[in-house]
Amino acid sequence: MDFHLYIQNLQVKHGEFFGLIGESGCGKTTLLKILAGLLPVNEGSLLQNGRDITGIPAEKRSLGMVFQQDRLFPYMNIEKNVAFGLKMKGVPRSKRITRARDMLSSVGLKDLGERFPLELSGGQRQRVAIARAMVTNPPILLMDEPFSALDPNLRKEMRELVLDIHKKYSMTIIFVTHDREEAFMMFDRMSIMRNGNVVETGTPRSLYEKPSRLYTARFLGIPNILSGRTEKGLFLTLEGLELSMEKHEGEREGELIIRPESLEITQFHPEDRFAFRAILEKTRFRQGMVHCKITTHRGLILETLEKNNGELEGLTGKEVYVSYSPTDLVFLENEREVRECSTLMPEK
Amino acid sequence: MKRVFMLMLFIVFGLFLIAGIFPILYLFMLSFSGGWSWPDILPSEFSLRAWKYVLGTASGTWHSIGVSLHIAVVVTIINAVIAIPAGDALGRYKFPFKGVLEIILMLPILVPPIVILMGLHRTFITLGLTEKLSGVVLAHMLPTLPYMIRATTISFSRLGFEWEEQAKTLGAGRIRRFAHVVFPFLLPGIIVGSALTILISMSQYVITLLIGGGQVITLTMRMFPYINGGDQGTGAAYSILFALVAMGLMVLLDVFLNRLYREKRM
Repeated sequence: MDFHLYIQNLQVKHGEFFGLIGESGCGKTTLLKILAGLLPVNEGSLLQNGRDITGIPAEKRSLGMVFQQDRLFPYMNIEKNVAFGLKMKGVPRSKRITRARDMLSSVGLKDLGERFPLELSGGQRQRVAIARAMVTNPPILLMDEPFSALDPNLRKEMRELVLDIHKKYSMTIIFVTHDREEAFMMFDRMSIMRNGNVVETGTPRSLYEKPSRLYTARFLGIPNILSGRTEKGLFLTLEGLELSMEKHEGEREGELIIRPESLEITQFHPEDRFAFRAILEKTRFRQGMVHCKITTHRGLILETLEKNNGELEGLTGKEVYVSYSPTDLVFLENEREVRECSTLMPEK
Repeated sequence: MKRVFMLMLFIVFGLFLIAGIFPILYLFMLSFSGGWSWPDILPSEFSLRAWKYVLGTASGTWHSIGVSLHIAVVVTIINAVIAIPAGDALGRYKFPFKGVLEIILMLPILVPPIVILMGLHRTFITLGLTEKLSGVVLAHMLPTLPYMIRATTISFSRLGFEWEEQAKTLGAGRIRRFAHVVFPFLLPGIIVGSALTILISMSQYVITLLIGGGQVITLTMRMFPYINGGDQGTGAAYSILFALVAMGLMVLLDVFLNRLYREKRM
């Protein structure tokens, strides 16, 4: 396997629900396996509460881990599966059975202890896997896309369960996913990963509202990324649209990121906001929100997202004003992105 | 369509009857007959002579059953001990010349051991392994080990590393991972490999004859002269006994390993 991870520095705080997110092949699972001790580190070190654990094998790290597949031992019943970690620790039989039963009931599977894994549904099996990982009370729980094999309704339920567990047992959880929705719903903080590097780390909200890397904005699904340059407090797109900036940046080339919900479409020019004119091409309704596609007269296509107030439907195909607040615009300078990428790109 | 199917069924059933049932029936009749001359369809005389001889103490049958079982069981255990790490290497790891090694390990299946028996005999003489049980055990591994390795290789490649990874994160060290995770997964493969080893070991004649030098008398060794024409009634009785011993061993193996398996489930 020719794959390299380059993690400069990454800290997870005690009791935090931390996410590793990125597209498949970005190294998030590899990083998690390194934390678990299932893969070796070539260089650098791993610290837990200030103690170096780099050389400690997985079985002595006392971390819980839940994989994408439930990986329940098929020849053991549910109770034995859950109690396995305790057995490995030498806990006496009666104690571990009691503890396993407690754990099972806390994931909502009180009466299924006698069954075998194949007799359970996918969601139930993943619950057992969580109970099994937590039975020894590990200070850190690692989860590798544990719900991606489940169907959407079940996924939501499982997220709630894990959030409850996180609260109840106040453990540190490090959770790998490629699902943005999952990230926004669950994580206290997260790292966005790409090509074996950490692109950016922060709270989901700060990363979404104030991304400092272009990839962050793209990955988190911000559709309006405009190329152009700044000049005298304005941003000029390549297509010639002028937008007011919050502060003077000098003359620089780069990208302007506009979150779709920071744009507002009105029929007339609003008095207290900056606005530009565009044609409302398409509106699409979804769950109380309305998703619009607009084209400026220079051919620039933008997307907006607003609460459905019923007015927009009548404006389709007409010229409208699109207003924005300069504080919502994020400017990312070109060179910066290029420079950071070159230092962080894996060397072949 | 249905007609063709019925015809096929009839043919298959007929072949099964001719190839499977009739020879066994014939053996039974032969073993209980006092005399059976052409062109009689059934033996003219009922007799327990052959069975009395075979099951009696004079014939040495019981001793040779013991020898056969002894060899088969020891060969099976040694095979399993060798085949578990070998299957692990072949089933889960990549290394240079793996393909070549696999072919070499399969060679005894492709090239019958009889082909190299002369050379083997010579070597065993130099090593002082002829006319001994240990030599016969070693020689019996030749045609049986490939099956055991094949079985464990498949088991290991199905097992992969996932389960062991999971066990590691639950605090299981190397030995416990083997006992609680790897072994239960290998059991079905080991059962198949053991069954084949036992049957093949018990059926060996030429290898046992040459390497054992007539000193190691297995059941096959004892029955062969009778089958070969000496006394057909006794040969038939031995054949039936052989089948019963082999079947009994299979049942024992199944019971033993199943119990082990169930214990693991508990």
